[in-house]
Amino acid sequence: MTELPWLYAGIAAYAFAAIAALVGVARLGTTMATVGGVSSVSESQRNNERLVLLLMTTSVILLTITLADRWLRIGHGPFVNLFELLISQLFSLGLVYTIAYWRIPVLRTTSVVVLPLMGVLAVWVMVLEPSDSVFPPTYHNPWLWAHVGFGKFFLAFCLIGTGLAGVILLRSYGFFKNLFRHLPDNVILDKLAWRFMLLALVFDSLMLCAGAVWAQDAWGRYWAWDALETSSFLNWLLLGASIHARTTYNVPIRLGAVLIISVLVFAFVTYFGTPFYSEAAHKGVI
Amino acid sequence: MRIITISGVLRRLASTKLTLLWMLLLAVGAALSYDNPEDTSIWVLIVPMSLLALNLIAAIISNPRINRRGGLLVFHLGLLSIVVLAAIGRLTHMDGRVEIISGAEFSPEIVTDIHSGPLHSGALADVNFVQGPFTVEYRPQMMRGLTYSQVALPDNKGGWREAVVGDDRPLLVEGYRFYTTFNKGFAPILSWTSHDGRVAETGAVHMPSYPLFDFKQSNSWTPQGGDEIKFWLQLETGLTTEEAWVLDGRRATGTLVVNVSGERTELLPGESVKMAGGTLRYEQLTTWMGYKLFYDPTLQWMFLAAFITIAGLAAHFWQKLAAEPLGLDDALRHEKQHAKGSVPASRSAA
Ligand code: HEM
Repeated sequence: MTELPWLYAGIAAYAFAAIAALVGVARLGTTMATVGGVSSVSESQRNNERLVLLLMTTSVILLTITLADRWLRIGHGPFVNLFELLISQLFSLGLVYTIAYWRIPVLRTTSVVVLPLMGVLAVWVMVLEPSDSVFPPTYHNPWLWAHVGFGKFFLAFCLIGTGLAGVILLRSYGFFKNLFRHLPDNVILDKLAWRFMLLALVFDSLMLCAGAVWAQDAWGRYWAWDALETSSFLNWLLLGASIHARTTYNVPIRLGAVLIISVLVFAFVTYFGTPFYSEAAHKGVI
Repeated sequence: MRIITISGVLRRLASTKLTLLWMLLLAVGAALSYDNPEDTSIWVLIVPMSLLALNLIAAIISNPRINRRGGLLVFHLGLLSIVVLAAIGRLTHMDGRVEIISGAEFSPEIVTDIHSGPLHSGALADVNFVQGPFTVEYRPQMMRGLTYSQVALPDNKGGWREAVVGDDRPLLVEGYRFYTTFNKGFAPILSWTSHDGRVAETGAVHMPSYPLFDFKQSNSWTPQGGDEIKFWLQLETGLTTEEAWVLDGRRATGTLVVNVSGERTELLPGESVKMAGGTLRYEQLTTWMGYKLFYDPTLQWMFLAAFITIAGLAAHFWQKLAAEPLGLDDALRHEKQHAKGSVPASRSAA
């Protein structure tokens, strides 16, 4: 398994990024509490953000090497077993989040929620057997790429929404209230989070549609309520219903945050649970 | 006394609170439909989808928050069209299974396990193709790889043209799609002639799927005027579990073990055996391919509808973004104000 050292190095870089992000936010929060201003801490804060960005970029590069090395060795992409699916998600979530972190400064504090969440995936991947997979005959299909690609953006936008939702929920507790004092009002974070969830819905719909085209080619039916199809439809409906509930009922911001997190949790179960617990999932694999 | 007006009824039908309720009902219906259990009625999906459709039509007519916003309107109309197309699809679809011998012509009678909608009106009788030989690649440990199934189709000039289908590339004839499956195997072709010469028939006995049932290649057949004959096929296909291997009927040989009333005879292709009632001849060994058959005239429309629906949603997102880039204006304004010492706290609708 020549890719393992690269994988561990990539995970280590994520871990350092998470620590740097936590330290940075903690320092910013406490300095602000005592000094009481943004400008006085801005230079050390900028340096910390640069360090987090550098570490996350390093990690994404190392994971790219991990995937490329494995791909060359086993002859196909990371589409089949849980081990390679998780590495691939660590890579793509990391890539999208790093770009968002770089381009949208107001999102940077969400790293204290997002990076530990990705840590869960990283720990999970490390306890799995790094076995090679066999590429099923029905996977030789361009729609697989579209399906997987759209799914990656869906999950990444859910993750960013969850980062914001996490910050909204955490800041109602005393300790974090101080830490997150520098952030905009919840109203603004909430609005931003739901923007990402709307974008997530666009990509979720694209993923379902590309998946249906692939299923038609691969198994001769575009929809058959198998485990993965049922679970991802429910996930799509939960997201649509959450967006509706928010516009219909003027849902309190913190309840909205819980809804966003529940969409991500459902997506995690759908992606990383259903296909590996149910024999019926995507039958063509078997 | 309250006066009931059409617009009042419409407004009630269009309630977005109902939308949430019907979505919940649809979620229950979807969960019940998981894995298509026999005892779950299709109505658990039809009822909530119809209620949602009614709700949506009423909203589109009466709610300016949906009918005045181009992208959002296209998205919701698209959702409606997908539901309608799915319904038409279920009413007109057909699916089934076919096992066809290499060298034989397709005919509708060989289709089994047929499920079709009440309005199915495809021209299955016009489907015409001849099954050719096929190969299936296997990697070590018997991992199935790609299937290449050769078929011959009429070229509309009185001749035939060859095509290769398999896995993700179905054979498409008259709107019917034939997908190769893991189900394929061998079939000895046999002829039977009764002693008095009055009965002469030739047929193929499909042996169980190969290599899945490599260990029990047996079947039986009762010819007209004869006793039941039990067959067991001893195959030489080059199958190895350690190395890569290709299943190719043209390279396989098979000895047919024939058993009538406890009497056992081994036959090679071209050999025959006399038994009570007649003579059985083992003509040749061939293969059969199992296809899954699928017909749904809405497929292309469904794809188009889904594409337009998502484009509508993307346009809606884009319109929001253009009106207010990612809500960042607020955030940036906040940062500036924060630096000056005041924090805005207005709650604006998203
Ligand atoms: C069944 C799946 C459905 C999904 C996934 C869905 C999704 C959405 C989305 C994403 C929005 C945009 C929200 C925003 O930008 O703030 C929206 C808005 C809306 N939808 Fe739906 N919708 C569905 C069904 C329906 C139905 C059945 C109705 C019928 C009442 C409906 C009525 C509306 C209305 C009125 C709005 C505008 C809300 C506003 O801006 O305040 N939707 N829907």
